[in-house]
Amino acid sequence: MNRLRAIFLAPSAAFTVVLFLIPLSIIVGYSFHTRGVYGGVTAPWTTENYQRLFDPLYGIILWRSLVMSTAATVLCLLIAFPLALFIARAGERAKSIYLYLVILPFWTSFLVRTYAWMFLLRDTGLINSVLLSLKIINEPLPLLYNETAVVVGLVYGYLPFAVLPLFSNLERLDKNLMEAAADLGATPWNSIRHVVLPLCAPGMRAAAVLVFIPCLGAYLTPDLLGGGKSIMIGNLIQNQFTTARDWPFGSAISLALMALVMILLTTLLKQDGEEAL
Amino acid sequence: MENALELKTLYKSFPSHTVVDGISLDVPKGCFYSLLGPSGCGKTTILRMIAGFAEPDAGEIVLNGRRLNGLRPYERPVTTVFQSYALFPHLTAAENIAFGLQRRGESAAHIAPKVNRMLELVGLQEKAGRLPANLSGGEKQRTALARALVVEPELLLLDEPLSALDPALRKRVRIELKQLQQRLGITFLFITHDQEEALSLSGQIAVMNKGKIEQIGTPKEIYLAPATRFVAGFLGAVNWVDGIGVRPESTRISRTAPANGAKAVQAEVDSSTFLGDCFHIQTHTADGTAVTAQVPHSDEPYAIGDRVHVWWHTSDELPVRE
Repeated sequence: MNRLRAIFLAPSAAFTVVLFLIPLSIIVGYSFHTRGVYGGVTAPWTTENYQRLFDPLYGIILWRSLVMSTAATVLCLLIAFPLALFIARAGERAKSIYLYLVILPFWTSFLVRTYAWMFLLRDTGLINSVLLSLKIINEPLPLLYNETAVVVGLVYGYLPFAVLPLFSNLERLDKNLMEAAADLGATPWNSIRHVVLPLCAPGMRAAAVLVFIPCLGAYLTPDLLGGGKSIMIGNLIQNQFTTARDWPFGSAISLALMALVMILLTTLLKQDGEEAL
Repeated sequence: MENALELKTLYKSFPSHTVVDGISLDVPKGCFYSLLGPSGCGKTTILRMIAGFAEPDAGEIVLNGRRLNGLRPYERPVTTVFQSYALFPHLTAAENIAFGLQRRGESAAHIAPKVNRMLELVGLQEKAGRLPANLSGGEKQRTALARALVVEPELLLLDEPLSALDPALRKRVRIELKQLQQRLGITFLFITHDQEEALSLSGQIAVMNKGKIEQIGTPKEIYLAPATRFVAGFLGAVNWVDGIGVRPESTRISRTAPANGAKAVQAEVDSSTFLGDCFHIQTHTADGTAVTAQVPHSDEPYAIGDRVHVWWHTSDELPVRE
């Protein structure tokens, strides 16, 4: 039995060690080194990279990343909940079609889809040209290259990650509970507020985690839609490994981000565990 | 007696078939009224139409003189005890009971004493703070009942509320349910496929089959004087001898021909079943008709193959029309 278990576990153990533990150890090692002249790392060992994290400049970037990720997460939940409720209540056939539509964007590259947003939002883009031709505005609205554009892009990119867990939560809800609520005098709004929403808390938390974490680490969306003006942690890390050629500091930021995410995650998971009891 | 609920020629069809086929019935105020029928006879659809979860294709639903058709479920002065109880899993027993009062906008100061009185009525004071997951089947059932009753509905609908309980508990809850209904005087419409439940609880019973009402009457009337073969057979075992129905408990058995005034048939014993409080002797007549007789323990034992007379008093024959 134990041998069988070892054999079955071997592939995933090897996968984890080679693709996760080893790279992570390298990053940890890098973060305690000094930057090399043309990238890479060199002696001596140092903790300076971690001390630099407390520079107010990086604090601002971290704060902006948290605010924008929170905004994107809240918007995703606000859009995803009614959408998931609608899908969960649809007929069996319609349901699978809607779910298919939700995951359809994954069939093309995220990069390409983000470029599509640039074509929509830029000064000569679809939205501005339509509004201009209808004489609703006289000059193009500044839709692109600002924080709003980044949040729009993040919401667009990660909405499916919010819809799917909420849908599976709503789908499992006993339909009788909604009927019981109505039977006892609850209007549809009240039955959503007092029955559906509280029972969706686990789905909400899962959705929030699945959206918030990738948002926090996003670099493509802020880079393309933010125009490099409002950078997030992801861009900062990317810069360290590319233009700044400061791998040790990039590694330190990466690990700090990871620690932050893990703290958030364990807090949320603890709540789930307590509710399960 | 004044009627609480009146159903006037209700019809409801689903794409494949007609589920409710012209149902009319009157439920007197304060009555424990049962809709009895096999699964799929349309009784649950009727309940759903009264609660407002489904709309009839035709016909009227009138409660205390007010037409309910078209009203949303939350606008109807009717509550339901669901078969699965449908208790809100995130709310305690007390919070479940308070739910309906809160939706009616009552203040917390008004709600608390009402909830406490209801908890006391169903004997759940000790369990008030428990979530449904930590309640036993019987406690869940009582919470569901209390939750539906606390808002003082004009009509309480009960959808097979005892079917999820184990048999011993079911009998006890049955007695409690009847006493509660008598004490509160609220009109109960009870849906069941269990004839024993219907007979023991109801003031009146409507027996349904295939979307139609077969007979309406008191438990005694429908048991002793079933209008149709279906009703006779659904309410208990029947021996059908030459088109005449007679229940096993009215059927006697003897080795010698009975005295005058009784109807007798010669038969041969097939088997004997001990039922605890009595024996059932299964026999067949010359033309192969099966006849079961109920006999007390004290009767002489019958062996397989014994030639006997089965007989009954003509007054015990069921007056079935068809």
